[in-house]
Amino acid sequence: MTETNERKGPPEVLIDPIDMSELDPNFRKEIQSMPNADELSACFACSTCTAACPIANMWEIKPHQLIRMILLGMREKVLSSNEIWLCLMCFECQERCPQLVRVTDVFFDCKNLAAEEGRIPSSIVALGKELIDKGQLYIVTADWEREDLDLEPEVPGLSTESVKRILSETRTGRLVKGGD
Amino acid sequence: MPTYSLYMGCSVPANYPNYEASMLLVAERLGLELKYLEDVACCGSPNLRAMDYWGWVIVNARTLAVADKLGHDTVTPCNGCFGSLKDVYHLLKHDTKYRERVNAELEQDNLEFTGISRPRHFIEILHTDVGVDTIRKKITKPLDGVGIAIHYGCHLLRPNDVTDFSPMILDELVEVTGAKVIEYPLWKQCCGATVLPVDEDLAIRLAHDKLKSMKEAGAIFALVVCPACCNQLDLQQLGMKESYGEEFHLPVLFYPQILGLAMGLDENEVGLGMNRVPAAPILQHISE
Repeated sequence: MTETNERKGPPEVLIDPIDMSELDPNFRKEIQSMPNADELSACFACSTCTAACPIANMWEIKPHQLIRMILLGMREKVLSSNEIWLCLMCFECQERCPQLVRVTDVFFDCKNLAAEEGRIPSSIVALGKELIDKGQLYIVTADWEREDLDLEPEVPGLSTESVKRILSETRTGRLVKGGD
Repeated sequence: MPTYSLYMGCSVPANYPNYEASMLLVAERLGLELKYLEDVACCGSPNLRAMDYWGWVIVNARTLAVADKLGHDTVTPCNGCFGSLKDVYHLLKHDTKYRERVNAELEQDNLEFTGISRPRHFIEILHTDVGVDTIRKKITKPLDGVGIAIHYGCHLLRPNDVTDFSPMILDELVEVTGAKVIEYPLWKQCCGATVLPVDEDLAIRLAHDKLKSMKEAGAIFALVVCPACCNQLDLQQLGMKESYGEEFHLPVLFYPQILGLAMGLDENEVGLGMNRVPAAPILQHISE
């Protein structure tokens, strides 16, 4: 795992009690209604996902804790966490889960729910704007390089119009508009 | 001659024409017909999936449905595109309700996802459909056993029940060129590309750690099969002199560039001059 800051000494409270009034018992159902989250409640917090994560020791809330928090209904804390957006989306955690919880997929679900509420890094919205404005993420800037290699000058085969049309009618469009 | 629909995505054509050109030449010499898939959408990358799952599913389902009409398997050289297409393919193959919802949407374009065309990475085609033995017969200028570290890339390997890709594939494809595969501790680790828009320092840290691990294990070259991984390991390597005070001098090549050279293509045909860390030293390791 990637090294981070030194330990700061023992915490003041060993177990910080959860404020039950802040729990949303429907949160797990909300996640489970999304694709790939069927096995969510099979998690027994073994923390294999955390051991597998290349950056977990930079995280205040570890991957297995995020899954536990979802099951407990800590919706607000999960969806406002930086961790869900720092996830590398590398699937190391999901690959190793002995309970077949699709951990990375579940974090994708969390990001979608957070995005729906506008809690999304502006840099990601900017990528959405690129897709809506240009219909692709990268455009050819050095066409002489393609020419030198006998390739057609533009990106082959892409229908940028279809991307613009589809995404302007989905959440991407709403987020991009909201940010203007 | 087996025929495939070729889905390029946007990153390879825009940033790495050397990968595109070397892939096309190698495919031609191995008797594969790759036909550019027309009227398809950019995959949007995992960051589109993070922000807009439904939109991401639709743009990729649309591409799969366009390919279904032609009936050939869909080949892509990009791990990001492969990951998106394969994940959506897996979802629509297994979740009939979702598939109905998606097909209702695609109907407006007179398209339907049927799952006939399977999305596949170019590397897997080389290994499965062409085969290592056939490739061996085409090697006219083998490498001299020089050490190459392979970076597979996350979305080629994981989640494995979706990607269905064996990590032995590239090992065998590299060995057949005459090069030696260098094992290194961080071989499975992410290059950092996906988190780049959110945290640049973290993304570069991951690439740095990866290059360091390769170098310490004795790699003379690194190998990638994805434009995003190449950005991280090749292009970002140039900036590490400033950010980390370290220079790795580790040239990063795309697999078809190495295979192409071993099959007798020249350095210009594989676009060797476009690699950011100068890759010409590979020529000293190719037999005359």
